[in-house]
Amino acid sequence: MREIVTLQVGTYANFIGSHFWNFQGILTYTPRLVSVDFQGSLGSMSSRGTLYRNIPSGPSDVVTCPQISDSSLDLKDCVVKNVKTGNVSIHASEPRKKNLFLQSLDEDEPERVHNEPQSKVPDKDIVESLENDVQFWTDYSKVHYHPQSLYELNGQCMDSQEFNNYGIGRDAFSRGLQGEEINERLRFFIEECDHIQGIQFMVDNTGGFSGVAAEFLESIADEFTNVPVLLYAVQAPESYTNARGQKQTISLKLHDAVSFSRLSSLSKLIVPVGLPSLSRSDASRFLCIKDEKLYHSSAVYASAIHSISLPFRMKRLGPTGESCYGSGAMDVYEVIQMLAGQARQNRVTILDVAMPAPSLSGKQAAKFLLRNLQPLTPETAEDMEDLQAVESMSIHGVLGHGGHQASFSEVKDSLEAASEHAMTRPMFSHLSVTTCPLPIPLPFPSIFGNLVGEHGELLSSPNRGSLSRGSLDVESIPMAARLRSSSAILPFLENRLANLRKYGLERGALGSGLVRSWGFEKDELDDMGEVLSKMIVTLDPRSQASSDSD
Amino acid sequence: MSIRVLNPNAEVLNKSAALHMNINAAKGLQDVLKSNLGPKGTIKMLVGGAGDIKLTKDGNTLLKEMQIQNPTAIMIARTAVAQDDISGDGTTSTVIFIGELMKQSERYIDEGMHPRVLVDGFEIAKRATLQFLEKFKTPVVMGDQPDREILKMVARTTLRTKLYEALADQLTDIVTNAVLCIRKPEEAIDLFMVEIMHMRHKFDVDTRLVEGLVLDHGSRHPDMKRRAENCYILTCNVSLEYEKSEINAGFFYSNAAQREAMVAAERRSVDERVKKIIDLKNKVCVGGDKNFVVINQKGIDPPSLDLLARAGIVALRRAKRRNMERLVLACGGEAVNSVDDLTPNCLGWAGLVYEHVLGEEKYTFVENVKNPHSCTILIKGPNDHTIAQIKDAIRDGLRAVKNTVEDESVVLGAGAFEVAARQHLINEVKKTVKGRAQLGVEAFADALLVVPKTLAENSGLDTQDVIIALTGEHDKGNIVGLNQHSGDPIDPQMEGIFDNYSVKRQIINSGPVIASQLLLVDEVIRAGRNMRKPN
Repeated sequence: MREIVTLQVGTYANFIGSHFWNFQGILTYTPRLVSVDFQGSLGSMSSRGTLYRNIPSGPSDVVTCPQISDSSLDLKDCVVKNVKTGNVSIHASEPRKKNLFLQSLDEDEPERVHNEPQSKVPDKDIVESLENDVQFWTDYSKVHYHPQSLYELNGQCMDSQEFNNYGIGRDAFSRGLQGEEINERLRFFIEECDHIQGIQFMVDNTGGFSGVAAEFLESIADEFTNVPVLLYAVQAPESYTNARGQKQTISLKLHDAVSFSRLSSLSKLIVPVGLPSLSRSDASRFLCIKDEKLYHSSAVYASAIHSISLPFRMKRLGPTGESCYGSGAMDVYEVIQMLAGQARQNRVTILDVAMPAPSLSGKQAAKFLLRNLQPLTPETAEDMEDLQAVESMSIHGVLGHGGHQASFSEVKDSLEAASEHAMTRPMFSHLSVTTCPLPIPLPFPSIFGNLVGEHGELLSSPNRGSLSRGSLDVESIPMAARLRSSSAILPFLENRLANLRKYGLERGALGSGLVRSWGFEKDELDDMGEVLSKMIVTLDPRSQASSDSD
Repeated sequence: MSIRVLNPNAEVLNKSAALHMNINAAKGLQDVLKSNLGPKGTIKMLVGGAGDIKLTKDGNTLLKEMQIQNPTAIMIARTAVAQDDISGDGTTSTVIFIGELMKQSERYIDEGMHPRVLVDGFEIAKRATLQFLEKFKTPVVMGDQPDREILKMVARTTLRTKLYEALADQLTDIVTNAVLCIRKPEEAIDLFMVEIMHMRHKFDVDTRLVEGLVLDHGSRHPDMKRRAENCYILTCNVSLEYEKSEINAGFFYSNAAQREAMVAAERRSVDERVKKIIDLKNKVCVGGDKNFVVINQKGIDPPSLDLLARAGIVALRRAKRRNMERLVLACGGEAVNSVDDLTPNCLGWAGLVYEHVLGEEKYTFVENVKNPHSCTILIKGPNDHTIAQIKDAIRDGLRAVKNTVEDESVVLGAGAFEVAARQHLINEVKKTVKGRAQLGVEAFADALLVVPKTLAENSGLDTQDVIIALTGEHDKGNIVGLNQHSGDPIDPQMEGIFDNYSVKRQIINSGPVIASQLLLVDEVIRAGRNMRKPN
């Protein structure tokens, strides 16, 4: 088992990350994480984390730290234990005195470990307050963070209004010693790893954070050359509607193109995540999401990322492979190698999810499951036939025949049977299965529709009562998620290339001054265009003609 | 208004309203920072969203932490922060000087004077003041053995404005020695070669200078020594962990046996690298009293650590990139990028290497080195805000010493320069100027007095008395500054109060530029601003 270090850069990335860590169900471990956000974005959490607040500040020679041993960051052991037993503890039953989730968490902290749960205030109130009041990602985080984990970018006029383009972000990274400090934090966590398998990197694609991330990635490539980076470029729903006026639309479109091109050339595998309207997409068929709430949409993306990352954290078994709990372990390197390193070398993949995944009992069940896997990546083509597609699927907690959790062979057989009849099938597909479903912890938002049962099963008739169901009604759900390297991503790439050309590259383009103000010369822009068109050609050799026009 | 025709959504402030917005913003910012100036200045307490406390007097820190909204204030703050980036100090002075220039101008503008005339006067006064500064500065000869006393005095002047006296005096020696340690003849001083490390441990007065290096991590093997004397130090950047070959290498195996074979082969090549290091150790460490320490920038995995531990080697992995440079400067030898070029000449030397454990944090001290050109300032303090405060102060102290070495001159402090320059402007320069620009010169001259005035104010003295006493002495030909305890004039030279020449020059240079620009603003247009906000 090998360590993963996670990096979260940007507000939305941290929203997703916060949900992600909540799933891991850990109390006395701190994640191997470096999070970067605005100054003041931590809400009521201290940037020194929560664990070290009560250290006596007197002049004692020995400072004692509560329950932290040297191996404290060995998070995966804990998670995998949960995965294996299929019995993830849900900490939803813990005392939350006030309905402000975090405050109650803070207050109860010293006694919580020892005392019996004493629910004075019903969980219902807490859920309600979370639904209405979440403002910062820390508002619903129940995880302890290491003092080195949370980094706040500082500087003048740092809010999302102003911090809205690539150039500003890049400057912020190099201003003062901020970049160096961030790198230093990462080094701190990597130094602890005996054998790091990769870096999981979530970044806000919009706003200046992509500039920060690009600089960060560059220094990672420099310093940790052989550590593979799996990059999720996430986009909040609000970022799609923010543009008003022509000038800003151009700025946003150019930013998207520039940022995608830079980020993709700096990572081994990039996964664009974030739909303009999750609530109206097919991916939320059984969900009930309010797009304006980051707290809602980020939960879906976090669930998908959690599922995708399960194979990284499973114990690798002997050559015989299978155990009764799960199989299909892969490390970050292997996933990247499989999706991006094979013949086609396409670095952009699509993230699909079925949340909750339907059960596999019944004849058409597997087909139904495959059909339910819907993209969380924007601007993808539907029903694109691609004979060279490669995919990695992670399914966990899905029910098989007779209502028990489906084993690896069961899932594999039924999926194979289904794809035999399918019109399009990938060239290569990796499957990883565990029996443990996705736990729904208390701070999880109420986003399930009324067709979702207590264990995530899909009901034939709607539940009575409220329209949306949350952590109190749903204990866990089966999940299926997939990374797909396919030419279905072409529209995404083509749009970015077109925007780059239209607003930045063409003679007299409206945004050429803008890009120059971000610090890019003409030939750098040309290079970016080159990067994008190369990606397109990789997937669609026929498009060669159009990209060689200049 | 024409702009309304062009863009009906634009918010517009015109003429006097625009000017007054600028003046008020400058005065507002001045008000915030002015109480922090000088050794008697008060402290600001910043409380974060989570109740985190930060105590500071440092203008630079304040400006970075405060979330300033007003566009004019942001402009001034940026100038001040740039001041800090360039010369390392003088942030507060810049802000209050700009504020004062605006305040003095306001008087004249209210009487109907055109800003352009004032600005012309500023320009003349600025040039004259800079010329005066050249005459006024005290040259210091650096040569091979810099005058330690004068460096200490400059450092003390800076540090006393940031910290309480006893601590400031202690740090004075530390920062002076640190800069002298890393200084190399004929080369620019690279302050990065001073590592600043902090421990939440003991008291602030336990802060000390380590001639050598302190690393914030320890060895990762239980059998490695926690304390070793007479150590050879190998500084290297060699991966000692099993890693997959480069992605895209396109190497595939078709069965489990092949995979095993490949893994074994790669493991072997790592082991060989480790063996080469062990061979070198065995070559140099004959006899029992020598030790061998490997400090690697890349990773070392557990099997390699095991091999090294069995050979009696202490090994640290993933050292900071900068520490590679610092180690070589501190211990000698050279940084090695490949085990193929290992020779005994690559090795550095340290008399003592030991590990200090503090809670779950480990520190490794590399000390007793010969002829170090890099050192570590180890800050100690009982809590985070003390440490942060000391850190900011040390940073400024280091810059002050560095500036002195590079400027080869200092300027008399305690307000002496400002009073002298003001008298020079009023008595000499003003007469040579024709017309109303004279008033600009006068405004500039009076604005200079803001420094002694604020110093007096912060010490609880009467500003008028102090200014009259000081200008009186200057007119008699005595160069005096302000004694903050009694309010009497003193000779800064005798008291050892010196400021940096480059800091002063920078303030005189940048203050009037920004003030002039703000004064010449006749319209503030916030186009697009209200279009972005959806209300």
